[in-house]
Amino acid sequence: MEWKDVIPVLAGGIVILVVALVVKPVLLGEPIGFGSPGVGVLAPPEYVPPAPLPTATPFPDDGEVYTRAFRWMSIDGGVHTTEIRVPEALFSAARETPRYADHLAWGRYALAPADRPILEDLAGRIAPPVDNPDKEYFRLMNLVFFVQQIPYDKDENTTSYIEGVLPRHVRSLDDGIEYPKYPVEMLVDGRGDCEDAAILMTGLLDALGYDTVLLKYSNHMAIGIRMDAFNPYYAKYTPKYFTYEGKHYYYIEGTDFEWGNVSSSTTARWGRPLAIGDVNGAGIPSVRSETPEIIPLRYIPAPAEYRISPARLPAAGGA
Amino acid sequence: MEIPIPGLPDLPDLKIPSLPDLKIPRLPKVAIDWRKALTAAGVVIAVIAAAFIGWTLFENYTYDRDVTAFGSHVAAAEADLAQVSEKVSAHMRSRPANPSLAEADAPVREFAAIAEYGGAVTAYHRQVISADAVPDAYLEAQSAYVRALDHLNRAFSLWSSAAAAYDMQAYAAVEDNLARADQEWREYVTAIGDYNQRLRVAEEVGEVPPA
Repeated sequence: MEWKDVIPVLAGGIVILVVALVVKPVLLGEPIGFGSPGVGVLAPPEYVPPAPLPTATPFPDDGEVYTRAFRWMSIDGGVHTTEIRVPEALFSAARETPRYADHLAWGRYALAPADRPILEDLAGRIAPPVDNPDKEYFRLMNLVFFVQQIPYDKDENTTSYIEGVLPRHVRSLDDGIEYPKYPVEMLVDGRGDCEDAAILMTGLLDALGYDTVLLKYSNHMAIGIRMDAFNPYYAKYTPKYFTYEGKHYYYIEGTDFEWGNVSSSTTARWGRPLAIGDVNGAGIPSVRSETPEIIPLRYIPAPAEYRISPARLPAAGGA
Repeated sequence: MEIPIPGLPDLPDLKIPSLPDLKIPRLPKVAIDWRKALTAAGVVIAVIAAAFIGWTLFENYTYDRDVTAFGSHVAAAEADLAQVSEKVSAHMRSRPANPSLAEADAPVREFAAIAEYGGAVTAYHRQVISADAVPDAYLEAQSAYVRALDHLNRAFSLWSSAAAAYDMQAYAAVEDNLARADQEWREYVTAIGDYNQRLRVAEEVGEVPPA
């Protein structure tokens, strides 16, 4: 074989290479040459942790304060007075804060960080620590009774606010107005409606370490307190509880208590708290007939599905 | 008798050549050299054989190269998703028991950061893998894996929306977004199962040498 015979073979090979490496990629829109298709638009992502939030500036102790005196009855019948002091700046900040449109977020009112020191102080004075676990129930009921004795007033009444006018962040609803109060607002105003009492009571109970939720009915709000078992022998009713995340929360009314005149010849009154689990005590039809929506004080979003399914890798070089 | 045609000039006498004067070309005689003919045929056959073998080798090379590239991209995606999974699992394990509001908000911010990270990871690998030129046998597996990444990407996007709704204290919207994200996660798991099955089929097909 001579050189001139080899040339066609070489030419054929070159033609094949040109077809494979240039013509075919051009026709199919692939990259020309041996290189694999590159992706250079995005860079490989990196995890960026969230930046820490700046800590809130505490309200000054030396500014103007609202002083409120509460006269209340404990469950043993004794009458007590308790004074609270709320910085005006704290109260004004609460008043000027827009209300949450979503009632599922109302637990945030009870846990407001700025209100917490005041609630811890007040709860400690109303229900001081006990050395005997048997007295824990009385401690709890004293706190419940304290809130139940705060006068009830509707959101639409200007008498419910110390300014004598409706706050600017009241929310208009089809059947009236809504203004859930921060605990300090309820304490300074000295009155409020059912959700205000429920928020204050859950805030105080939380400060004492109780696990509580808000119970929302169609026209009422009450409290649920977690108890593993509550069925006292003296109860003339079956204590009502609701289950949330596998835990039992017993009903507590926040806005009323049992009372009456000591005798017909005196204005002196006796009173006792509406009992835990008694849904008939307050005489509210929705409480007797409805199953409430349970609103946890603490809400952390938790997806149910979040597990990565490992995928099999293709065998190297095909099969 | 000649009748003159008016206007026609007188033509000189035309001389028609006689046919025997024409020269007809003849083909040269081909002297067949059998040695050269066999050489030419051999060259043609060699060229065809070289083309066929070269093309087959090239196809094999391209097939293997494409599958290897696809495999390495899936492996990279799986490695990054494993890191995302680790962060998600750690996040779910570290939920505070009785947090203050600030302590309750912090995990949600971390949740948002993980969602952002997961979304970026899935978007990146989706772009890489969907750009892979894979053999026909692997097209369905590739499509299933890209679909899985799409579901995962939407799930992370919904997580981000849930975290944003939490920041606005719109908890009902949070729950709604999480429920939709859960559905995307379930569809992602289904797509991965589909991918595994189609990959197995592709590899069985791949055992037969490509044409």
